[in-house]
Amino acid sequence: MSAALDRQIRPIYDALDTSSNKSAIVACNKLLKKHPKNELIKALKALALVRSQKVEESLILCDEVLDMKPTNDAVLTAMMHVLRGLGRHKDMVLMFEEAYKQQPNNEELGAQTFFANIRAGQWKSAQQIATRMYKQFQEDRYLYWSVISAVLQANDITTPSSMRTLLYKLAHRLTTSSPTPSYQNTDRFHLHLSILRELELYGDAHKLLDSDVGKAICATSLSCNELRRDIWRLRGLSKEEGELAEARIVDKKDRNWLEFLSVLDATFSYLAPSPDPESSSSAQANCSAHVTRSQELFQRIAEEDGQADRSGLLALLELEKRVRSHGLSTDPERLVKLMQQYFEKIGDKACCFEDLKPYLELEENDLAQWTSYSESVSPSFTTNNELRRLINSHKLLRYNLSSSELTVEAEIARVALYIQQYLEGLKLGAHLPSTELQIADDLALLAGSVLVNLWKLTSEEQYLLNAVTLLEFAITKSKQSFQTRLLLIRIYRLLGAPSLALDHYRAMGIKQVQHDTLSHFLLSRASTFSLASTGDLTFITECLESTQIYLSNSQETADFIVRAFTSEKYSQIPEFIAFEDRLDNSLQRDIVKVEHLRMRIAHEPITSDIIDMELIELKFIFDRTHHDNRDFDIIANYQPRALDSINTQTLLFGRKEGLGWLSTFLKLYIRAFQQGSDLDDTVEEKLLIGDRPKQTVDPENHVPLRERLLQRIDEELTELTPEELLFIDYARALADWLEPYHDYTRPPPSVVLAEAAKQTELKTGYPLKGVDLQALNGLTNGHGKKDEEPPAVTEPPELVVKYFDNVKTRFSGVRGSSSPVQALHVATLAQEALLLFTVETLRFKSASVVKVNKLGALVASFKTIRSNAIAVLREISADLVKQSEAEGTADKRKAFVDGCTIVINTDIDHDFALNTAKKVTDARKKVLEGVGKGVGRVCTAYAH
Amino acid sequence: MSILRPFKASDMFKFNNINLDIWTETYGIGFYLSYLSRWPDLCCVQEAPSGRMMGYGASSISIRCLHMTVSHHFRKPPVIGKAEGSGAEWHGHVTALTVAPEYRRLSLARKMMGLLEMVSDEIYKGFFVDLYVRCANHVAIDMYEGLGYSVYRRVREYYGSMGIGKGGRDEEDAFDMRKPLSRDPNRRSVRANGRDMVVSAHDVS
Ligand SMILES: CC(C)(COP(=O)(O)OP(=O)(O)OC[C@H]1O[C@@H](n2cnc3c(N)ncnc32)[C@H](O)[C@@H]1OP(=O)(O)O)[C@@H](O)C(=O)NCCC(=O)NCCS
Repeated sequence: MSAALDRQIRPIYDALDTSSNKSAIVACNKLLKKHPKNELIKALKALALVRSQKVEESLILCDEVLDMKPTNDAVLTAMMHVLRGLGRHKDMVLMFEEAYKQQPNNEELGAQTFFANIRAGQWKSAQQIATRMYKQFQEDRYLYWSVISAVLQANDITTPSSMRTLLYKLAHRLTTSSPTPSYQNTDRFHLHLSILRELELYGDAHKLLDSDVGKAICATSLSCNELRRDIWRLRGLSKEEGELAEARIVDKKDRNWLEFLSVLDATFSYLAPSPDPESSSSAQANCSAHVTRSQELFQRIAEEDGQADRSGLLALLELEKRVRSHGLSTDPERLVKLMQQYFEKIGDKACCFEDLKPYLELEENDLAQWTSYSESVSPSFTTNNELRRLINSHKLLRYNLSSSELTVEAEIARVALYIQQYLEGLKLGAHLPSTELQIADDLALLAGSVLVNLWKLTSEEQYLLNAVTLLEFAITKSKQSFQTRLLLIRIYRLLGAPSLALDHYRAMGIKQVQHDTLSHFLLSRASTFSLASTGDLTFITECLESTQIYLSNSQETADFIVRAFTSEKYSQIPEFIAFEDRLDNSLQRDIVKVEHLRMRIAHEPITSDIIDMELIELKFIFDRTHHDNRDFDIIANYQPRALDSINTQTLLFGRKEGLGWLSTFLKLYIRAFQQGSDLDDTVEEKLLIGDRPKQTVDPENHVPLRERLLQRIDEELTELTPEELLFIDYARALADWLEPYHDYTRPPPSVVLAEAAKQTELKTGYPLKGVDLQALNGLTNGHGKKDEEPPAVTEPPELVVKYFDNVKTRFSGVRGSSSPVQALHVATLAQEALLLFTVETLRFKSASVVKVNKLGALVASFKTIRSNAIAVLREISADLVKQSEAEGTADKRKAFVDGCTIVINTDIDHDFALNTAKKVTDARKKVLEGVGKGVGRVCTAYAH
Repeated sequence: MSILRPFKASDMFKFNNINLDIWTETYGIGFYLSYLSRWPDLCCVQEAPSGRMMGYGASSISIRCLHMTVSHHFRKPPVIGKAEGSGAEWHGHVTALTVAPEYRRLSLARKMMGLLEMVSDEIYKGFFVDLYVRCANHVAIDMYEGLGYSVYRRVREYYGSMGIGKGGRDEEDAFDMRKPLSRDPNRRSVRANGRDMVVSAHDVS
């Protein structure tokens, strides 16, 4: 390329870098006039077009450049971005393969071709390319690339299990063929070991690890040492491992808990099962001897370390627990004594409760003894350590409360005690800067948990009002306490005050990957609270924001996988790939997608465009193998083991949605959209750009989609609320009823394609790629003339006709109960039912369609159903608006404050409670009014 | 008492109890992946027996100009890309060190720092280890001093504001703190009056 041209192209790059895609296109057009054949300018223009969503135009340029079989580095790089933007990873592979074929001595092109295969998840061809590169360029690195590619292929979900071992054997053969030993590089060594482990070649692994180099590597590399430990265990070398671990604990002062676990495992390895009773009793004696030894070891460590490290003390406890489970205990009181000792020494650390939890499941005598010990902890405190000790004793005691101790009176007494101690404890932290947490926070959380339980016991809302008042107070004293916020978020949702939940959620500053693990706190069943129907897009925006992370994942993670190859960090590659997969196929991602859809159709007019787009996306999602990355453990649980956890207790509608919920809603919407859409599989095939998701070997997925959509799986349905179940049944009956009419009326694929081509050309000025209109024209001529008679019109099913009457009854059953959430739930689902009805009947809006297909009687029955639905919904709408008028009033605030007797005292005063009351009732007013008016709007929009 | 193990990419799904803390930033996934793709042996996790993450630490190895002329109000632009020059030195850089609130004061940070220093010293043969910390983060600064680190310089506006007000400069500015390793027995990588040495953020990144 000439220097002059080079200079002229630079501004295009600048424009692309700053996302000024428009000016990039203008600059490209200008240059293309002079250089109409230049592949780089074309590629850059294609990139600018993709980035401005002009897919059709971009496709044309993209294919032009591909046809020129580029080998130039700049062109290839630009095209890589274009193809990525279009989701055409497989074409990217072809492009690089073609280039590499033309310049077989270009090592960089070889590497790029390899990476393109890695990005597309094509491990097998990646492996072949790496092997070829190794032969050609004689770099050990390429040999290891081919090794790990074989391993990746073995682990891929699409690889049948019978192939696994074969591929690992291949990887092994390749590794041993290396001229340099794997231990020259920690990560090669790691890869080598993991192959040996998989093939159960423990002897070989042992030899490597036992060498001086092997030992040296394990001493500094945690990941190699992790593998080593695993291999020792698999080899049955727990005695040897125990000795090594003991040496590390004693000589090197290593306090990694894994070492202690090794000693423990070794201690009980003497109990190997044996059929011969005599030898088994001698095994017992042998084991008991070792128990004594280990006890002495741990005791010594515990004494040496004092409070500096808890390992010794905890190891003593773990040892005793295992001794008991093997029936070797000699002192029935020892366990509780050790627990007491632990509490004496570690009771003033925040983690004491967590540490002791595995040992708390005590019974009878033990429990009585432990309880009376814990109760003896002094309730007065003057230091942080005493306060922490007291908090730990509360948590420990609460954990073991039985149902007879969990009466309303007893729980009320506990709240009072916790609150009193909480306020007392705040004084100790009065001087702390606002960035620090109060130690006393946990007492507020304990009190909050008890209040939640009181609500569960009595169904009386006042307990939740007390809880939010207390927790709101706590947050003013400890602004960074995310635990307080998490509990508040949950309770506000139960109370039907979603805007307050949102405030706290935002205050936590959820970012990046946390959206995947934590957005469930806000977005689970959020369509219940969405005001999208009134044009308020708050929750829709939250949905979209939370899904940004999936975009970054698909754009960035593969780059780091490639980087891990160049830096030869083989230990990371499978981890990165698994990470990418977990995020890409995240359950939360698609739950949010469905929630978003449910909000969207209440906001945007339902058109065939929306139906088509959503249909394609939902079908993709339906084929995914999902991973549940949601973090439910984050919310601190201080409920007794006899009760549900705080997480379960505070779930909205008491139901946790998961795969079953997702699958049920996906089936419902895919089926409805399929009926409403003209895109059948052949059309979709032609219109879709980019690769499809990988298919698992799971036989489930080979059942035809149509059948899968009809499956009704009871287990899945347990995740649904009763209201959702009614909705599902309604949707199913509706779809069953209308299916024959849709199938009969839907235009043939050729007509649909011709229409799509016409629209595309009108919109973009370019014909639709890959669709031969000429050929289609031949087909379209016969349009409209069907051989069969239209299906006879049948009466609408009961489930459909009665659905809205049923809703009416259910609504009057829940309206006016203290929290509005049930009423909102019934109302939003009923609204969704009307929207679904609109989706299902859109096709029959066209008078000519009805006439040609003789479906007049069918359309007449739609009218009856719709007008009944609208009448019911209008009543609900009016009722919600009326309820909202009663909220946010002085009366409601007073009632709220009157119920807050438990928490109101000298510190949390009447005014504070009044302020919280105002926030809660105002929030309720807002959501009731919004949903109410929104339902009205939807009725108006779809009245005919 | 905790399990010390390598940090894995999937730990990003588990670190909420640590990262919801105000002093701990949650970066884009590229941040963690870029460290893991280069220095996996410098990324570690402390885990409770229950599987709950207690804390993690990550560091990197880099070369940076050591003898930059730094004065109170004026500094020359750094020499770009002069890594191979005589003034450049290998060192380990601690990028993230954090422990969940409920597991603090159990020596976890001390142990992770020990591991990161050991690997920087023995495997990467670095001269020193350095790190950045908000000037307002007194707990951390005191701890690092206790572990043998000293302030090398103050970096203006290294961090964005935390949006909690009051702290002013101390919130946005960072101390660059350093500790010499065995290859620097004469302690040439540290100095006594580091708190008075002020540089601006774009001079160091
Ligand atoms: C700073 C932080 C990592 C310390 O972790 P930690 O595991 O509690 O620290 P350690 O228990 O190893 O403490 C080591 C020494 O530091 C000092 N120290 C730590 N925290 C202290 C505190 N809150 N007050 C006083 N001294 C403290 C003590 O001297 C302690 O030794 P000791 O317990 O034997 O007296 C932790 O507070 C944290 O994660 N903070 C938030 C994130 C952060 O600020 N990271 C640093 C950013 S660069």
